[in-house]
Amino acid sequence: MHVRPSTHPTSQAKEAAFSPYEDHGGTNLAIAGPDYCLLASDTRQSNGYNINTRFAPKTFKLSNKSVLATAGCQPDCAMVTTRVKQSMLTYKHNHNKEMSTSAIAQMLSIMLYQRRFFPYYDFNILGGLDEDGKGCVYSYDAVGSYERVPCSAFGSASALIQPFLDNQVRNKNQLGKPKVTEFEPVTPLPLAEALRICKDSFTSATERDIYTGDYLQIFIITREGVEEQIHELKKD
Amino acid sequence: MFLTRSEYDRGVNTFSPEGRLFQVEYAIEAIKLGSTAIGIETTEGVLLVVEKRVTSGLLEADSIEKILEIDSHLGCAMSGLTADSRTMIDHARVEAQNHRFTYNEPLKVESVTQAVCDLALRFGEGAEGEKSIMSRPFGVALLIAGVDENGPQLYHADPSGTYVRYKAKAIGAGSEGAQTELQDDYFQTMGLVEAEDLALKVLKQVMEEKLNVKNIQVASVTAADGFQIYPDEKLQAIVDRL
Amino acid sequence: MSSVNFKSTRATQAATPITHSGGPVVTGTSVLGIKYKDGVMLAADCLASYGSLARFRDVDRLQPVGEHTVVGASGDIGDFQYVQDLLEKSMIHEFYTADGHALATPHIYSYLSRLMYQRRSQMNPLWNSYLVGGLNDSGEPFLGYIDLIGTTYQSSTIATGFGAYLAQPILRKAVEGRENEITEEEAIKIIDDCMRVLFYRDARSLNKFRRAKVTKEGVTVTEPYSLTTEWGFAENIIGYGA
Repeated sequence: MHVRPSTHPTSQAKEAAFSPYEDHGGTNLAIAGPDYCLLASDTRQSNGYNINTRFAPKTFKLSNKSVLATAGCQPDCAMVTTRVKQSMLTYKHNHNKEMSTSAIAQMLSIMLYQRRFFPYYDFNILGGLDEDGKGCVYSYDAVGSYERVPCSAFGSASALIQPFLDNQVRNKNQLGKPKVTEFEPVTPLPLAEALRICKDSFTSATERDIYTGDYLQIFIITREGVEEQIHELKKD
Repeated sequence: MFLTRSEYDRGVNTFSPEGRLFQVEYAIEAIKLGSTAIGIETTEGVLLVVEKRVTSGLLEADSIEKILEIDSHLGCAMSGLTADSRTMIDHARVEAQNHRFTYNEPLKVESVTQAVCDLALRFGEGAEGEKSIMSRPFGVALLIAGVDENGPQLYHADPSGTYVRYKAKAIGAGSEGAQTELQDDYFQTMGLVEAEDLALKVLKQVMEEKLNVKNIQVASVTAADGFQIYPDEKLQAIVDRL
Repeated sequence: MSSVNFKSTRATQAATPITHSGGPVVTGTSVLGIKYKDGVMLAADCLASYGSLARFRDVDRLQPVGEHTVVGASGDIGDFQYVQDLLEKSMIHEFYTADGHALATPHIYSYLSRLMYQRRSQMNPLWNSYLVGGLNDSGEPFLGYIDLIGTTYQSSTIATGFGAYLAQPILRKAVEGRENEITEEEAIKIIDDCMRVLFYRDARSLNKFRRAKVTKEGVTVTEPYSLTTEWGFAENIIGYGA
């Protein structure tokens, strides 16, 4: 059955082809320290020039040792988060232990790559503590390529924050200061310093990126567990 | 004895009025025809020792393999219908590799044991739509040895799909006598060398033939070296100590 | 033999890709929702447009679901009616068990979001934006949004379609931070003011609305009503009307 006679000029589709993706903005940041890991996200969810909501958390505690930050297409982010949590529960039932951060890291990579040809439009940062109690940050692309890095910024303001982190956390272009290479698992920064850099990053990003703002959620992972803080960002 | 069971020992999935699955019990009996295998868990690692029945001088003793590697940190000794173990070992190896691939970490000893036991009761007619089911229970028992974050561990898995952790366990023809011996002589602080001596001493007592390097196989799993099958020279040294 | 048809029908069919709905056909415009002191208030007009034609003028786009939930729909009316059908079916299905448990607002919200995401993942979306208003598990007001790609968010004020541009700023100014102070009377005024603005500026709207409120007492949907409008100013606009 022919729904549309294909030669008829007026029968061309009027609507643009359906796109299953949208970018909902938002920014994430993570810094791995010697005995802590810090993850931060703003909570604004946007759609074009509209602000959908001022408070839509996209970063979630997975266990006492790991936190997952997502940014990109909100439905995909939500699905990835849900699936990671489900798999962690299944793992716990099967193996009678909590998943380590490195195990979650590898699993997430596979989960993303399984959708190589219909990707989750979702840029993840997985943060936590490794087997030795050191901070760890794993950063991903949408199809599952990942690496362990000392610090990372992802999302709509990543181009604003990443160079700032390179300079302030990894001492790039700073004469006479020891560099932190990308092969280094952690930065030597004390937690208070990392927190300061993190907050400064977001207040500045909020000024210039319309998709970043409203509230800042900070997760601090230490041996004691996960501490969550909420700070205000500008709402304009 | 057998007469009373006759109605209920035909269907592999049929409970007797007393609540027993005879085919499973018979399968467990089949293990007792197999060559003896012993496992000992020590503070340093786990030791596996098996008897090889070299029935003819023309038989290549090396071709009998009753201890197999599952992963670099997991080993397995068997007794019974060893051919049945192929399915289980294959499954265990796949599970172990799959776990490494998915989680970038070694599979736990208990988890691999559970994975193997999951296969045990997949015999009989099966539920609707289920295909390629086995016609009878496995006729083999396994001693699964490994080291993980919980240290060295030894598990015994039988045809009923039950698994139990042991400090020391003997299976096969000589298991009854061997188990008593192990119970008497096992001690908590035992190291691998002491376990070697104990296992071979016990095996020697229950074996029909005279024990030598050709008719036994020994392997260990340690944190440092993982799964290792003992080479002949090392085996000879232990036999000489006896 | 008369002919050999090389251009087989099957080959032609295989070359034709599966096509799904290319877009909305009969559509409803904005839905508004706010939280207030006693619960949630939603509003939508009664028009279903066919392109620029005001095709159906008494369409109900606010659907009560269970005791404490209202679903408001914008976008394709046919797809909405399909969803209404699914929601009714699941409410009945839940009722069958007669265990006193009914789907509450967060459950309906979750169900709808999964449905929408599933359909978008099949590249065959339900062409709607939904507001789900009601009470959460602790009895507090709940207001959530779901769209055709499965986007979800919650907020104290939400507006779909043109309302996102025209009404949302007014709603935010009136409601944000005052959710627990706003009385029903004030909520009605806020909503009506926004519906009036929408009627003035949205060419696909109608001055005939329904308003729904969800409080602890349950769901109430008003009969269709109109708002007073003032078009006198139009006389002074050059090029407009007479």
